[in-house]
Amino acid sequence: MAASSHPIEERQGSSPLTNILLRQEVILFLILILAVTLLALSSDKFLTVSNILNQGRLLTEIGLVALPMTFIIITGGIDLSVGSILGVCAIVLGYMWNPSGPFQLPLEAAIIVSLALGTLCGLVNGLIIVYIGVPPLITTLATLALYRGLAEGISQARSVRGYPEWFFQLGQGEVLGVPTQLWVLVFFVIVTAIILSRTVFGRSLYAIGNNELGARFSGIPTGLYKIIIYAFSGFMSGMAAWIFVSRVTTTRSDMGSGLELDAIAAVVLGGTSIFGGTGSIVGTVIGFVLIQLLKNGLSLAGVTTDGTIVVIGTVLILAILINNFIQRRTNAA
Amino acid sequence: MTATAKPVPTPARRDDTGNFVSRLISIVSSQEIILLFVLIALLASVGSANPRYVAERNFINIFNGNAYIAVAAIGMTMVIISRNIDISVGSLIGVLGTISGTLAINGSPIWVSWLVPILVGALVGAAIGFMVAYLRIPSIVVTLGLLSILKGGLITVTSGEWITDLPEGFFLAQMKTPAFSILGLSIPAIPSPIIIMFVLTLIAVLWMRYSQTGRAIYAVGGNAEAARLSGISEKRILMTVFILNGVFVGIAAVLWATQLSIIQSTVPPGLELQIITAAVVGGVSILGGVGTAFGAMIAAILLSAINSALVFIDISPYWFRAVVGILILVTVLADMLRRRRTAAASGD
Amino acid sequence: MNSIPILEIEHISKRFPGVQALSDVQFQVHAGEVHALLGENGAGKSTLIKIISGVHRPDEGTIRIDNRPVSFNNPREAQALGVATIYQELSLYPELTVAENIFMGHAPRGPLGIVDWREMGRRSREILESLEITDLDVNRKVGGLSVGQRQRVEIAKALSLNARILIMDEPTAALTEADVQRLFSIVRLLRERGVGVIYISHRLEEVFLLADRVTVLRDGQYVGTADVKDVTSDQLVSMMVGRTIENMFPKLPAVIGDPVLEVRNLSRRPLCKSVNLTVRSGEIVGLAGLVGSGRSELAQTIFGFTPAQEGEILLNGQAVRIRNPGQAMRYGIAYVPEDRGTQGLIREMRLRENVSLAVLRTMTRSGFIDTAQERRLAAEAIEQLGIRAYSIDQVVNKLSGGNQQKVVVSKWLASKPKVLIMDEPTRGVDVGAKAEIHHLISELAQQGLAILMISSELPEVLGMSDRIIVMREGRVVAEFDREEANQKNVVTAMMRETAEPATASTGQGVSV
Repeated sequence: MAASSHPIEERQGSSPLTNILLRQEVILFLILILAVTLLALSSDKFLTVSNILNQGRLLTEIGLVALPMTFIIITGGIDLSVGSILGVCAIVLGYMWNPSGPFQLPLEAAIIVSLALGTLCGLVNGLIIVYIGVPPLITTLATLALYRGLAEGISQARSVRGYPEWFFQLGQGEVLGVPTQLWVLVFFVIVTAIILSRTVFGRSLYAIGNNELGARFSGIPTGLYKIIIYAFSGFMSGMAAWIFVSRVTTTRSDMGSGLELDAIAAVVLGGTSIFGGTGSIVGTVIGFVLIQLLKNGLSLAGVTTDGTIVVIGTVLILAILINNFIQRRTNAA
Repeated sequence: MTATAKPVPTPARRDDTGNFVSRLISIVSSQEIILLFVLIALLASVGSANPRYVAERNFINIFNGNAYIAVAAIGMTMVIISRNIDISVGSLIGVLGTISGTLAINGSPIWVSWLVPILVGALVGAAIGFMVAYLRIPSIVVTLGLLSILKGGLITVTSGEWITDLPEGFFLAQMKTPAFSILGLSIPAIPSPIIIMFVLTLIAVLWMRYSQTGRAIYAVGGNAEAARLSGISEKRILMTVFILNGVFVGIAAVLWATQLSIIQSTVPPGLELQIITAAVVGGVSILGGVGTAFGAMIAAILLSAINSALVFIDISPYWFRAVVGILILVTVLADMLRRRRTAAASGD
Repeated sequence: MNSIPILEIEHISKRFPGVQALSDVQFQVHAGEVHALLGENGAGKSTLIKIISGVHRPDEGTIRIDNRPVSFNNPREAQALGVATIYQELSLYPELTVAENIFMGHAPRGPLGIVDWREMGRRSREILESLEITDLDVNRKVGGLSVGQRQRVEIAKALSLNARILIMDEPTAALTEADVQRLFSIVRLLRERGVGVIYISHRLEEVFLLADRVTVLRDGQYVGTADVKDVTSDQLVSMMVGRTIENMFPKLPAVIGDPVLEVRNLSRRPLCKSVNLTVRSGEIVGLAGLVGSGRSELAQTIFGFTPAQEGEILLNGQAVRIRNPGQAMRYGIAYVPEDRGTQGLIREMRLRENVSLAVLRTMTRSGFIDTAQERRLAAEAIEQLGIRAYSIDQVVNKLSGGNQQKVVVSKWLASKPKVLIMDEPTRGVDVGAKAEIHHLISELAQQGLAILMISSELPEVLGMSDRIIVMREGRVVAEFDREEANQKNVVTAMMRETAEPATASTGQGVSV
């Protein structure tokens, strides 16, 4: 199964131009443009600056989580627990700060505790995967239940509201006319893209995804690197929680349910092989932008939120089908 | 420990009765035994703290409550053994349950409203199988997409309206055997889901153990390349696995839809996770290749028992999922340690 | 010998995208003969056997079995006509028992179509006994068996299908000496029974020991078929390479200096026990021993892959602690692992990325990979080692075995090591590339590297080494100078006690 999935970038006999055109990112980008054009034609509210910026606000949480998810999937792993980490971080942020709760920390301290907790949750995933050797799918399936359970247990289904005004700047405010959280996302996109494509760490992730044993024999500390990316994934889920709470002004224990599926969908749609070894941040960015614009455009065109989910599922399967088809054609040629 | 953990090293034993016993033991391999032990320990300890926990009524509820999960977990067990995953089962159960209810209130014969979901389940399974086996899309991606399609599609079509006024004979899950007594033992009324769960599990265990195709699932999961070279059609096996999974999901959906007097026509949240949990905790090897539906059934009952126990020992049910998470981790860790010891003992 | 061929192949051609794998190849096998198939890697042997076993369909040509033309759409159809194949990567299911594996896909059925386990067990034992295999419990899971045992299960599986043509692809590649002997006697048994065996091997001596006839392929072309008793090994080699190899082991004189690597009482259980050895600069130390004697384990302990539990490692006289491969590299130790596919290379990545992988950390500018330097390094490697690739951006998967091996070597030379440990440096490499790699090893020693070379090929060890160390059951058991070493005394040291029955020291259940 694994062998068929690696797009081999080097193809003898085909011109560099067709190579570029057949990259998943490019195909996706063309789909993206097509989708934008169609949606713009169907609703005049779609292609407006304010709408686009507002969509940026809405996609930030998925985007932040999808970036480390790209790292993880490239190494051949997966992290299903991101949505639950977001949930427990959001709950703990409120719980630590809650003026009528047991801790009553300053909000700044509560945010730091929440981010630290997110990192810790990811670190636990990484340690179990690396040191005990439990496959990532199972480990994070277990911690998905565990972390969501902690969120539910700590909150006892009570939400925390009434945050001070400054706290909402991140989730609802603007800087230079652009939603604040979009700056955060852009910052992390650039950082992760550079790490993945230009550093030893990034190169090592591809090596791990293609042949972990070979990577170890080459002196790459594979265990350490894997722990780092899972911890990073936890940290980013914590960031997403912070932004989420700031955006919706409350904490609930079901926050982020299903986020893992959106993030994985974005990554896979962006051309990262679910078996590891290939993929890019650019692809992931196009992936989550495409998903968000589809959601938005369809809802403007009068399709219900649930109807858009159907479209996204279909797009995901179709994109992979088309990509597989093209890969096979070019490999056979 | 049982025979699987310590392979008999000598060739001396040749009597077939001995082999039969060891085979019998290996059917109920150690993971299942451990689970059964945990289940009994839980029932005993919580029961001694609060006798109402093991009173007949609650006892039957524990077995009954998760029967549909156990049935769905049979299919999931096969899927995982073949080294695949299906995360769309929860959504599919929601959709098939709604189909069942809709048929029933629109005047279809009861048996039609029970049968159609199973057939549709098989069809959806065939579609997944086709995409996985023939189009070579990883099952996690296929079922991820399908999950969205089913979930969104269901609410779009039904607008989340509840189905009520279901006809009298529709409630399969509420039917019971008559209570009777034999030789002074009084046998209580047993709800049909428990019987269906036991019978299906038994059939599945026997089929996976004794049929050519059943064994081939293990082969495909254990060494797909080898299976291909030795002439087993991986594609056909994968199709079979996903179609069967669809059938079990269909039956589970009927049990789910017929247990309450209303059908919510939405997707039960986190249901796929409970089913996968039952299969994994039940001893489907996380590394592919091992596992029986029997373990999945016990695991499903265990989850139900834990949920119920929280109520009886007065812990907030909001902690249920945390307990489940810890349970999966602990079983998986135990499995890893057991494997490591086995590997060390066999010297490889 | 029987004169009617059971399998006849004529004018077979097969093209894959970009390569003509076979053109106009002919081949026959008679009942009751062992027919060796020889050729360098890439000569078309595997394509040919895949065509015979129904995995590939030929573009042209005919296959006849019992004088009837046949064509296979899949391996199953070939099996039905009595063609069974034992691949290099054994194709068994670890979670299933021996009997289940033997009868996978054609289990005896009772009434109701239910698998008849009793019958399956009985017939499995029957087949094993007919091969004079009595030490294999049919109810054991295959996962716990040794490689040799698994191979016997494979042979039994082939016989359960009533195979009349048995294809064996490098069956001895991973076997211990004792297992090789058993394999040979099984193959001879099969020959007596009238099975036609197609035997593929890199080891010429096996061909002379076992085969009746030999067919040589080169670059997808048929070169010739000969009776084994009529040819010499030199003739076969020149048929294979199309030229004669003048100097197989070009050991160049080198100045041997001070000890670079010293190992004292190094232990890592179970297969590395209190080992002492010294490698000096300019010296090639050959490490001989049977498979499973602990040679690779020792190397991986020195390299920090499985860190030592006891004892010490000295580099240039300084005691160092090595806990992971990264540290070993920083101390100037390089390890070219045994299996280049899974250990040495990232095959899906480019040549350039593989060559730089071990030294990437030193090739950065303010944290970023210096790609210009990386490209230079790769270009130098291609030049220095004569790697035949059309670009430094070629994916290494597409290179031949010999060139892949050179990529692994260049990756480690890039780390500028002081100690180079090479584990089976020429395994699965064709004759031409082999000579080039030997030449390279000699040159490196001449430049002052300390080289520890592990090899299962005795001629290689004897031809290349200044000193030979023999390991057995995790211990160093003998040491020879170049002058005193010969085939006989090295083999004797390798085998001495393994012939005796009880070897309690390694504990029970260890199957070597």
